[in-house]
Amino acid sequence: MQLFWLSLGFGFVTASVLAIAAVGLSLQFGITNYVNFAYGDFMALGGFFAYVLNNEVFHLNIWIALVLGALAMGVLAVIINRLILGPFARRFTSGHYVLIVTFGLSLILLNLEYSIWGAQVRFFNMPISQAKSIGPLLLTKNQLIVMAIAVVLMIAVHTMLKVTRLGKCMRAMSDNTTLAMTSGIDTNRITTITWFLSGSLAGVAGTVLGISEGNLTPASGELFLFVIFAAVIVGGVGSIYGAMAGAVLIGLATEISAAFINPSYKLDIAFVILILALLTRPSGLFSRPGTT
Amino acid sequence: MTYYVFTLVFFLFDYWILAMGLNIQYGETGILNFAYIGFVAIGAYFTGVFSLHSAKGTGQFYILGLGLPFPLNLLLGGIAAMCLALFVALITLRRLRTDYLAIVLISLSLVLYDFCNNYVGLFNGADGLYNVPEPFAKPFGLNVNSFIPFFACVAAAVSLLMWFAMSRVMRSPLGRTFRAVRDDEVVAAALGKNVFRVKLKSMLIGSFYAGVGGGLLIQFGGSFNPTAWLPGETFVVFAVLLVGGIGSNLGMFVGALLVETLLIHLPAFLPEIPGHPGLIEYFDSALVGIVLMVMLWFRPQGVAPERLRRTTSFGVVPRDSDGSGTTGSLATSAALELGDAP
Repeated sequence: MQLFWLSLGFGFVTASVLAIAAVGLSLQFGITNYVNFAYGDFMALGGFFAYVLNNEVFHLNIWIALVLGALAMGVLAVIINRLILGPFARRFTSGHYVLIVTFGLSLILLNLEYSIWGAQVRFFNMPISQAKSIGPLLLTKNQLIVMAIAVVLMIAVHTMLKVTRLGKCMRAMSDNTTLAMTSGIDTNRITTITWFLSGSLAGVAGTVLGISEGNLTPASGELFLFVIFAAVIVGGVGSIYGAMAGAVLIGLATEISAAFINPSYKLDIAFVILILALLTRPSGLFSRPGTT
Repeated sequence: MTYYVFTLVFFLFDYWILAMGLNIQYGETGILNFAYIGFVAIGAYFTGVFSLHSAKGTGQFYILGLGLPFPLNLLLGGIAAMCLALFVALITLRRLRTDYLAIVLISLSLVLYDFCNNYVGLFNGADGLYNVPEPFAKPFGLNVNSFIPFFACVAAAVSLLMWFAMSRVMRSPLGRTFRAVRDDEVVAAALGKNVFRVKLKSMLIGSFYAGVGGGLLIQFGGSFNPTAWLPGETFVVFAVLLVGGIGSNLGMFVGALLVETLLIHLPAFLPEIPGHPGLIEYFDSALVGIVLMVMLWFRPQGVAPERLRRTTSFGVVPRDSDGSGTTGSLATSAALELGDAP
């Protein structure tokens, strides 16, 4: 039982990381209507931006480095969209060339990270915190901050989508881009803002992944990518709330299963859930009718 | 020197086979198989464990270990890849749109990698298989130096055989149905084609090519481990296919020459930059991505593109002088072709 409560705590932390990453991926997918296979490398790159600010220049506090690293990743995502993905998406409407281009982008970013930072494992410079028991759970202060960041970001994304004019424009575009355009929504501006948000969320997710796993390598985002995909598909592709729910489900399932099976395979559990979800509810747990 | 040249020749022919397999799936049928390298790996591992003898006392851990002779283990490796394809296709092909399918397949590739890397009892985990017997080495009395030119010739023979088979498939009614499904699934279904079964056949044929290509890899090098099939390797095969030209078997040979031989294996002979281990290799991999993007933007039909196929009442006449394969005219031609398919 002790083991169960311990892994439940880890499950909430993994779910927090996953939720941030999955919402960032879903936002962009809803607007541009193609999957970004370089998302895992966006995450790792955001983590490395924070690492540089934290360890190499300025020696900032890790949480300030997290915010600045995420903003830098957001700007980079906008630049990548302007220079590469946007033009390809406009020019090739068939043949799924854009997906191959994002796949290639992932290879380019991964190898650039390897050439700059090498293959060795990196660590953030942050105070080691004692584990405290909260109810039956056992969590460190850093893990609690990670969870708090996730909750704040989820509430912020929800408020933005439901209350602000920007969020309404984004939802309109996600439903029907042409209709949104004819209603006077500046779709280019919305796309740019979405890429900024998606890149920033990827950056936050990359850094908190590094914090929760305790280390950072260029490949850590890439291997985490299929867990994000599992969360997104289980929740229903393109649905923000589905992505959040999928993240909690997959996060808890992977960590709790690690208490009973060899922890090396805990991420593979995510794939088993993905297959089961495809067999039983192919359009996701929270799909709306008519939006498969 | 001859050692290097024949290594390059081997990889040229091997990647030609791999590109032909991916072409039938993606180029001809429109299945965006981002797990392709996973099928290659399964083919390689099974070819390995079919030709290795029992694992006892070798310090390695693997299943089977039957000690079968060369062409048979390669064939079984291809069939093993087909079995995985059958399993994957039955779960995913019927339900998913192309982009969701791509997500599931890339996840499959990562999970297969993670599993084979961690589960030592299957294919010796992260160390991979090694000391795989060299085919024909004993009867022909080959040593380490003469084996490489010899096996490059074997790979060339196998790839020519598979090229012949593939060009027959592509010109057959089945090949025309593949292209019709790629261009418009609804039209193909309206003409009475079972789209799922057509895609399944394409998946199986392509995976057999992947498996055989992988089997040749392990037989050539004598070893195979997880670092050889990171999910990014799938992208190299896509680059070979797209640089050469989708739909053109000879074009893919040019693609394999340009991408695999010149871009990937030739820089491996460059000297290392002191103090930066692996830097050339990293730049090289990034360059593959850049080359593919530049190529897609300026010449999306590839170096040697697919020629338009025109149908007359006398049969298929596969020639068109300008060869500018735009999707619009291809869609029409495929629909026309399907008209005379039985």
